[in-house]
Amino acid sequence: MLKRITLFLSFLFLFTFSIIAQQQQKYTISGYVKDASTGEYMMGANVYMKETMKGTQTNQYGYFVLTTEKGSYTFITSFMGYTEYSEKVNLTQNLKKNITLQEKVITKKEIVITGEKENNNTASTDMGKVQMEVEKIKTLPAFLGEVDIMKTIQLTPGVQSAGEGNSSFYVRGGGPDQNLILLDEAVVYNASHLFGFFSVFNADAVKNIELTKAGMPANYGGRLASVLDISMKEGNNQKYNVDGGIGVISSRLTVQGPIKKDTSSFIISGRRTYIDLLIKPFVKKTSAFKGTGYYFYDLNTKVNYRLSDKDRIFLSGYFGRDIFSLNQKDLSFKNSISWGNATTSFRWNHVFAPKLFLNTSLIFSDYKFEMGATQSEYDIKLYSGVRDYNAKLDFSYFPNTRHKVKFGMNYIYHIFTPNNATAKTSGVDLDLGKEVKLYCNDAALYINDEWDVTDRIKINGGLRYTCFQFTGPFERYILNYSNQVIDSVYYKKFENIKTYNHVEPRLSIRYGINELSSIKASFTQNYQYIHLASVTAISLPTDIWMPSTNIVEPQFGTQYSLGYFRNYRKNMWETSVEVYYKDMKNQIEFKEGSLPEDNIKNNTDNNLTFGRGWSYGSEFFINKRTGKWTGWIGYTLSYTKRKFPEINKGVEYWAKYDRRHDVSVILSYEFNDHWTFSAIWVYATGNAMTLPISRYIINGTIVNEYGPKNSYRMPAYHRADISATYTGKKHKNYQSSWNFSIYNVYNRYNPYYIYFQTTGSILDYHIETQAKQVSLFPILPSVTWNFKF
Amino acid sequence: MKRTTNQIFQIIAGLFLFFVFYSCEKNISVDIPESEEKVVIEGSIDLNDYPIVFLTKNLPYFGVIDSSMIYNLIIQDATVIVSDGNVYDTLMKTFDINYFPPLFYKGSIIKGEVGKTYYLTVKVLGKTFTSVTTIPQPIPLDSTWFKVEPHQDSLGYLWAKFTDPPGTGNYYRLFTKRLTKDKIFVPIFGSIYDDKFFNGQQFQFSMMRGSSSINSTTVDPEFGFYKIGDTVIVKACSVDKATYDFWRTAEGEMYSSGNPFMTPSQIITNIEGGGLGVWSGYGVYTDTVICK
Repeated sequence: MLKRITLFLSFLFLFTFSIIAQQQQKYTISGYVKDASTGEYMMGANVYMKETMKGTQTNQYGYFVLTTEKGSYTFITSFMGYTEYSEKVNLTQNLKKNITLQEKVITKKEIVITGEKENNNTASTDMGKVQMEVEKIKTLPAFLGEVDIMKTIQLTPGVQSAGEGNSSFYVRGGGPDQNLILLDEAVVYNASHLFGFFSVFNADAVKNIELTKAGMPANYGGRLASVLDISMKEGNNQKYNVDGGIGVISSRLTVQGPIKKDTSSFIISGRRTYIDLLIKPFVKKTSAFKGTGYYFYDLNTKVNYRLSDKDRIFLSGYFGRDIFSLNQKDLSFKNSISWGNATTSFRWNHVFAPKLFLNTSLIFSDYKFEMGATQSEYDIKLYSGVRDYNAKLDFSYFPNTRHKVKFGMNYIYHIFTPNNATAKTSGVDLDLGKEVKLYCNDAALYINDEWDVTDRIKINGGLRYTCFQFTGPFERYILNYSNQVIDSVYYKKFENIKTYNHVEPRLSIRYGINELSSIKASFTQNYQYIHLASVTAISLPTDIWMPSTNIVEPQFGTQYSLGYFRNYRKNMWETSVEVYYKDMKNQIEFKEGSLPEDNIKNNTDNNLTFGRGWSYGSEFFINKRTGKWTGWIGYTLSYTKRKFPEINKGVEYWAKYDRRHDVSVILSYEFNDHWTFSAIWVYATGNAMTLPISRYIINGTIVNEYGPKNSYRMPAYHRADISATYTGKKHKNYQSSWNFSIYNVYNRYNPYYIYFQTTGSILDYHIETQAKQVSLFPILPSVTWNFKF
Repeated sequence: MKRTTNQIFQIIAGLFLFFVFYSCEKNISVDIPESEEKVVIEGSIDLNDYPIVFLTKNLPYFGVIDSSMIYNLIIQDATVIVSDGNVYDTLMKTFDINYFPPLFYKGSIIKGEVGKTYYLTVKVLGKTFTSVTTIPQPIPLDSTWFKVEPHQDSLGYLWAKFTDPPGTGNYYRLFTKRLTKDKIFVPIFGSIYDDKFFNGQQFQFSMMRGSSSINSTTVDPEFGFYKIGDTVIVKACSVDKATYDFWRTAEGEMYSSGNPFMTPSQIITNIEGGGLGVWSGYGVYTDTVICK
């Protein structure tokens, strides 16, 4: 521990020293960059001096600081798809510039991965980073016309989809709980609607998406695999706007506008499905699904107010729910399930001095799952969830053009509600134990510096110190050797049960070989204090979030990554090759043979078992960024293994989401101002699964004996989608567009799951077993009409 | 309780299918590695009764299995010995068409007694398998009755009132037998219980009739129910932890097999020496219900 603190201090010292050493006669230009037509602040705009080519990019809030030697320069601000801003400046004092960029008259929806300086691919220290712009995603084929940013993220190398009916994603061999998903800085615990067929993010309300899968900077933490940072739109502060869309299964509406022109604005965006209403007439009266209803909705709102040139405040909220109900009179059976997230973020940006920027955030985040069922005399309720109260201070300090320093702190109070249940039979309460809640303090301190050591070498280094505390009130059940509860220990409110302290080093280095190519390497260590325990073979909302406790130790991940980046033809083509190795300790799984009810009147963590995971692989990426034809090809070759002493007799096995080959091909062709055509093709090695190897007879019934865990592969998954987008003429106050998509063009029956059907009976002395594959979606066309006025 | 949990998962599965009601299904062939031949032991000793042991071999996974193959599964040349530590009882081959398999091994010296431990030794195919079980104290049901379900004409469930003794670690297994209709005791649907949920309490619960084989092709119009006119013997047994673990995982496998939402898990056996199956002692309490 002491050694780590010493390391931390010497790092701080070195860093301060290097800044002092470079103090010369320099001046600073700082300010905000925004979109002229909407007033939205632009993240990732390039700001530089033409003569020296020295520059920077705007941060998440559109703020930039550029410090350089005294002199005359041509000051340039640019952003893909916008007219470049250029101005002669005479730098003899510190300047403040707020720049507005005008969208190019003909919107070239050329590329999907964008928002980068022309050579950002090779010039930055970023590895395994993907940025996407929502407007571009909208032109790609969409499943049932629902634009889904999570699905588009899965088309990039190293990010794997878990398959159809599963919106969670796997990054470089990590589990779905190892991705930190942030919506305006609030953690979203369950990012999917309808068991993963759709993501919770309404594309109309989203401004920017950034995924980091390697070299995670120190300002992020708490997850091993990746950070998906999603920013909501701020709202047009120039004029009122209404846009929306009518699709096959859902409709959307977004209203935005100024509250006070140039100073404050709002946006409100909603979405609801109507599958239930559409399907109702087709459900037969005798059908088992009679009396069944399902829908989901979500609502995004955001208000921002510019108090002064130095202060801005933002208030944003998200609320979404999935609601399912079943009412079968014949069986006197009633059931209702609902789940969803609610988040609220309050943020305050303050510019202390041009070089020092502070963002303060207060965040509330809540995920809930509730289920109630009644059958004749039985009445059962089940619920689980997570609630966070989060406070953050994030400073950005720009001492000079060579350093970009971030430091800050974060405190989260977590309240976990793992599966709790109440049940009644004939009005008598069954004892399912007391309501269990787990309370945790989660704190972090970090410092991170992006340092241009020379023109060729850039270093992005940081340290994150984390402290996690599991506190009372809590009742620990003590089990005997055969897993029976024999006693319990009670911890008082605020009593410290277990504390974990760790330092996480992060380092990325870029070496520029020449103008067009560079080599990058990164090393990161992360601790993860919260875990998702999945009872079933696929992710369901019933999965339980668990904190680290005195039994569950934090997950610990180490990743080494190396990459070669090269651009061709004036940065028109970007290519990269990355290799990685990742080690993950303290991975969790439920013990073999444990059933959901084992969590009742017991501590969930008593049913968990722990092991190690590791993965390695390489990712190849070719991206054509400009021209009539754009698109990319991504290929990932990867290996992911797990080893648990109590699973599979202690023998290592392929992880469920081990994916040998993963290919994505995305093509987009802009035919003219009206028509854009795109196509997607994906290929993925089948999921690993456990299969029965023999069967035997117990009590006159056939049961299975299973083979080694995950030793069988499902058939490979592949699919092609195509789409055509027609953008109508731009009227004075009105514009509309049509998106025609065909999902699964060649009607491939991809495996969703495999099961075995046994017919006949042992008592009839005749049995037959057949393997069956269930596929979800055949060829599915869809149409969506979008409008804007 | 267990039934409700199971239903919840069935509902979730149903919900899935609801959305993919036009999902496609096709037959595929799957290459499964050859599995080794294993001995399956299903043995029990009831209170005041002789031990019985069924011995079979496991089956290959795919393909059609006909009567000759099933007969070949039955192990006919084993030595089966049950002991209480003092007395040894070598079980004799017995034939009874009401059981499956109809050929099994039955004792004639030792009868089950409360609190005693019983050791099983099976020698077959050059291998020796052993196991241990105990017969716990039987716990009586306070009362039992039949009630017609709403919306049903003459079908309903059996009900019982029960008082669990204080202290955790009580496990139960329930069977019923309809006189004339059933030839043997059949475990109820969700037959295995742990008193974790109702320790020391008095409560009432319903029993859904199990079928003698869930793979049966014939449709039973009384499926899950008892009918007015039935005379039913309820057999409520106390069992030990190993018996509980076996039947809990075995029933989990029987009900969830093929359900993609469940992680397949091995059935926990208490047979030592590489065999499959269970050796269980039952502390039996019986009661009779006339359905009216």
